[in-house]
Amino acid sequence: MTEITPTKTLDVCGKICPYPDMNTMTTLKKMEKGEILEVLLDYPLSVERIPRNLKKQGHKLLATEQIDGPNHRILIEAHGLK
Amino acid sequence: MNVVITGLIVGVIFGFVLQRGRFCMNSAIRDTVLLQDSTLLKSVGVAILVQMFAFAIMDAAGCISINPKPLFWGANLVGSFIFGIGMVLAGGCASGITYRVGEGMMGALAALIGLTTAGTLTAMGKLGFLTNLKTSLQTNTKVMIGEANPTLANVLGVPYWILALIIAVAAGLVWYLMARKNGDDDLACDSSIPLGDRVFKKGWNWLVAGITVGLVGVISFPISAAAGRNYPLGITAGWITWVKVALPGVDASVNWIAAMVLGIIFGALIAALIAGEFKFRFPKWGMIGQAFLGGLIMGFGAVTSGGCNVTHILSGIPQLGIGSFVASIAIALGAWVTAYLIFVRPNK
Repeated sequence: MTEITPTKTLDVCGKICPYPDMNTMTTLKKMEKGEILEVLLDYPLSVERIPRNLKKQGHKLLATEQIDGPNHRILIEAHGLK
Repeated sequence: MNVVITGLIVGVIFGFVLQRGRFCMNSAIRDTVLLQDSTLLKSVGVAILVQMFAFAIMDAAGCISINPKPLFWGANLVGSFIFGIGMVLAGGCASGITYRVGEGMMGALAALIGLTTAGTLTAMGKLGFLTNLKTSLQTNTKVMIGEANPTLANVLGVPYWILALIIAVAAGLVWYLMARKNGDDDLACDSSIPLGDRVFKKGWNWLVAGITVGLVGVISFPISAAAGRNYPLGITAGWITWVKVALPGVDASVNWIAAMVLGIIFGALIAALIAGEFKFRFPKWGMIGQAFLGGLIMGFGAVTSGGCNVTHILSGIPQLGIGSFVASIAIALGAWVTAYLIFVRPNK
């Protein structure tokens, strides 16, 4: 586990396509530059797709961690689009 | 060999490949607009080209005889547009919701029950004015070339295999050259991860996913034809068959396509268990309701249009069926409009 204190946590466990991605992106849009978002999710496709699409929005991927089985945690530093 | 066994085998392979490849045609279409991400759409494109190339050769060699779906443009447009709306609401296309049941997603199961229910009711003519709408669209807008369903080949008066071969090779070549020019880096693979883990633990990249899905389509055609169903992959008809088998007083038995769709769930389950991605997931009731409603809408749309996304996009375009081209465009339009209304506009 990475020792980063997230500013905000977004739990999208149980949600499928495209909610994990959409919720992550809209939450990031509302955050200040440098704030950290922690996303908790269990949808395999989004675990791989969210990091891929972050770059385009300018946000920074800090870590993708597997908690157990399909449960993952993604840490993102917001680019500050607010 | 027994048709149920060959159907199950192809289904298990298909399900395994769908789960590993994260092959989702709903996302593929929707995300080009929603997330400006075309990774999955490229996968679909590869799967279509692989099949077009192989079908052309198999057709020339006499191993298969292509059997495109009818063109009834009104039913294709209306049915598939409706299917596209339902697909976004349900959170997956016909193949997507089927294989996700094997991953333990109860939302997908709700969508699948919806698809099967509405699909069966439409097919059996039990939906009142909606059934009439379907029948009248299918009869009044049907176009044929002689005795055959229209394809790009018979409209142009060229043998199917020549045209399919030309299109597949030309499109593949143009694509390859463009990708080289643009320096596509999505395919970089992490060679530090052992091959076994890359196959069984991580999601496959879009090219591997596209090729393998395409190959499943290729083997499915002669196997399905040998079982008396001359068509490659499909989904909706398989689930409808299960209901007919279960209903008393309806004469139906488990056929190739029914066994195949059931096999998809087992294949995806096996893949998800190996990857450690299986988990029973219960979304909130509202979400389950939305998925069920989406499934109902998809079921009506699929039967009206003569097929779901697999029948038309994955299996129909490689056969150059014009009805399938029309249906594919309508599915995309329905999906885009719905994705815009649900996801883009509220966040503006």
